[in-house]
Amino acid sequence: MMINSQDKITASQAVVVLVNYILATGILTLPRTSVEKVKSPDVWISVFLGGIIAIIAAVIIVKLSQKYPDKTFYQYSQDIVGKWAGWFLSLLIIVYFITISAFEVRIMAEVTSIFLLEGTPTWAIILPFLWIGLYLISSGINAIARLFEIIFPITFVLFLLVALMSMGIFEIDNLRPVLGLGVMPVLKGVKTATLAFLGPEIMLLLVALMKQSEKTKAVKVVLVGLTIPLIFYVITVVMVIGALSIDGVVTRTWPTLELMRSFEIPGLIFERFESFLLVIWIMQIFATFTITYFAAALGLAQLFKKNIQPFIFGLLPIIYIISMTPKNINDLFKFGDMIGNAALYLFGVFPVILLFISKLKGRKT
Amino acid sequence: MKLNNMKGRFRLGLLLSLLLLTGCWSSKEIEDLGLIVGTSLDLETDSSSREVLEEQEANNSNKELITITNQFVTSETTGSGAKEGKKEQKAYKNVSETGEAVLPTLRSMIEKNDKRAFAEHSKVIVIGENFASTFNLTQTMDFFLREIEMRPSGLLLIAKNRASNILESIEPTTIPAFQLVEMMKGHKRTTKILPPMTLAKLQGKLNSRASFLLQSVTSENGEMKFAGAAVIEGKTKKLRGFLTGKELEGITWITGEGKGGLVPSYYEGTDQPIIYEILSMKSKIIPHVDGDNISFNVKIESEGRIAEHWVLSEKTFDNKFLKKAERATEKEVERLVKNVLEKIQKEYQTDVSGFGTRLRIEYPKVWKKLKKDWDQTFSEVPIQCEVKITIKDYGTSGE
Repeated sequence: MMINSQDKITASQAVVVLVNYILATGILTLPRTSVEKVKSPDVWISVFLGGIIAIIAAVIIVKLSQKYPDKTFYQYSQDIVGKWAGWFLSLLIIVYFITISAFEVRIMAEVTSIFLLEGTPTWAIILPFLWIGLYLISSGINAIARLFEIIFPITFVLFLLVALMSMGIFEIDNLRPVLGLGVMPVLKGVKTATLAFLGPEIMLLLVALMKQSEKTKAVKVVLVGLTIPLIFYVITVVMVIGALSIDGVVTRTWPTLELMRSFEIPGLIFERFESFLLVIWIMQIFATFTITYFAAALGLAQLFKKNIQPFIFGLLPIIYIISMTPKNINDLFKFGDMIGNAALYLFGVFPVILLFISKLKGRKT
Repeated sequence: MKLNNMKGRFRLGLLLSLLLLTGCWSSKEIEDLGLIVGTSLDLETDSSSREVLEEQEANNSNKELITITNQFVTSETTGSGAKEGKKEQKAYKNVSETGEAVLPTLRSMIEKNDKRAFAEHSKVIVIGENFASTFNLTQTMDFFLREIEMRPSGLLLIAKNRASNILESIEPTTIPAFQLVEMMKGHKRTTKILPPMTLAKLQGKLNSRASFLLQSVTSENGEMKFAGAAVIEGKTKKLRGFLTGKELEGITWITGEGKGGLVPSYYEGTDQPIIYEILSMKSKIIPHVDGDNISFNVKIESEGRIAEHWVLSEKTFDNKFLKKAERATEKEVERLVKNVLEKIQKEYQTDVSGFGTRLRIEYPKVWKKLKKDWDQTFSEVPIQCEVKITIKDYGTSGE
């Protein structure tokens, strides 16, 4: 199926899609994974650097896509490196999208079954989630973007609210000294931090799905779309480490949830606030799941030049099976690391090469 | 065509939603729950319970046994308080059980209690003196830090003698666990209570090698009372000893974490008391590193008022008297600080007052070398102390 000419999104919708894609599992585990690497309270600097690297990678991706403004990556990669190589690359990326979508579903199921629905079987948590996702993406990118526009402000307000409420247990000494052991530890954490910003790769297709008149704003889209998660992440890391100290953070499975469970504010309507965080977090997971699911289905449809609907239905059981593959939570975290490493090559290295080749080609003709 | 499709989908959606309307999947009725509000841990020294346990379980007897007491609030205990005329019943119900590890012991309470234990509202864990000096806290707290039902906002305290006594009250209407939590809030108005140590903060302390303090509580004639602090040694994570209330005041002055409190001192020459009330407290620990020599300067500043004085010969309208009062208070604070430093440096050899933290922040490289044996190093470090007290006012009386 070619993209329906009506089904396009605006630049601001693209920002919202990007932000909702990036914010996902990382926010619950980033404080731990990054402190494990950095081992000093300077983690927030690593997160900052990671964000900047992600922005650079995103700008390259956008530049590449802007060269073929009406085509998605699945279509223009064949123009750049030839039919088969392009086909293969696209398939890799489709597999990537499928796995990340399965990963998000499983993490969602794990956290929900621990913190919210103890005793509910995993399949009972996953299936409604998958079905609703299917229902959403079968209506195309416009429906997805509109839903994300509802999710985004709720996330923004609730997140800032709960983050501010944890001020009561914040201790500045836990974040000091700044750069006490030099910059080396900070650099060790940059890779982990960068992986928390997985998501700009969606621009490989999103540029083609943007309205004609707004395609030129794509660079702005990634700048804004990555700065917002960057701010979220820095706030998260600072608040979590400030409250739990670096020694405490490394021992917690879900440090950000731990932070929200660590204080109670009597006198307000609610005393406990972790459910707020879980609500916005599940919405974010849903966003990430649907957009990757959609990207994979769209990719298959374009590769085989068929309608998207059968692929949407066909992918559902595959996502379910992949999501159930990791045997325990350690496997699941490893699975996540694997996806991250794959992404580093797929979206850090390939776009640069492709951009280079397409520039060479452009010069020849 | 498209509309039909929409309708079909809508109907399918309605049909599917029926599946979700069948009620709560794993609901628990509140009447059937026993809400755990407090837990105490004790070392079991009574040999008879050991024998009983051996008979039942045929266990190896060389291990130390622990006794856990859970304080339950159930629908019956809370309901009875409201009904008048009936025989007065306690507002709480304590259930004790003895075993080898925490969770199996807790689980065997099922055999004694009809309510399903529910720990989401657990507020406090009290650890007995013997328990804390026998077991490593990292090991014994493992369950409480792992269990999802236990909230990290719960408090940890150390009891002098048996911890289970703390959870008993002679007043039938009060719930001791809640009382402890409320009493902890007093740290804003006295220097004798530590800022609360929640399980969330404990996690970081246990994973570092630093020593730390826990509020200690004692039971006198069925009434609980805060009594100084317990020193937990960083290396072993065991109870090293206790600080008295006076000594704890010294610690609070060093850390500068106090929010209010009193300093009684005596007018020079006579024994007439002058009471200084703290309005603000600031302290600065300044580490000095010179090669291998480490020393500390503690600068304490405080502003406050004269809240009471019994000195007949002087008036607070007179600045000279205020100066004298300031000097007397400074001396008293200095004495408090020196006293406690003597104790933690020489007797306990543990740094519980944040000197290590300051060194970590200002000299991170030096700290990296020293942190392994910091308590040892700390015990020989010279510490200077300067106190500056400013009296700002004296209330509504100038006498």
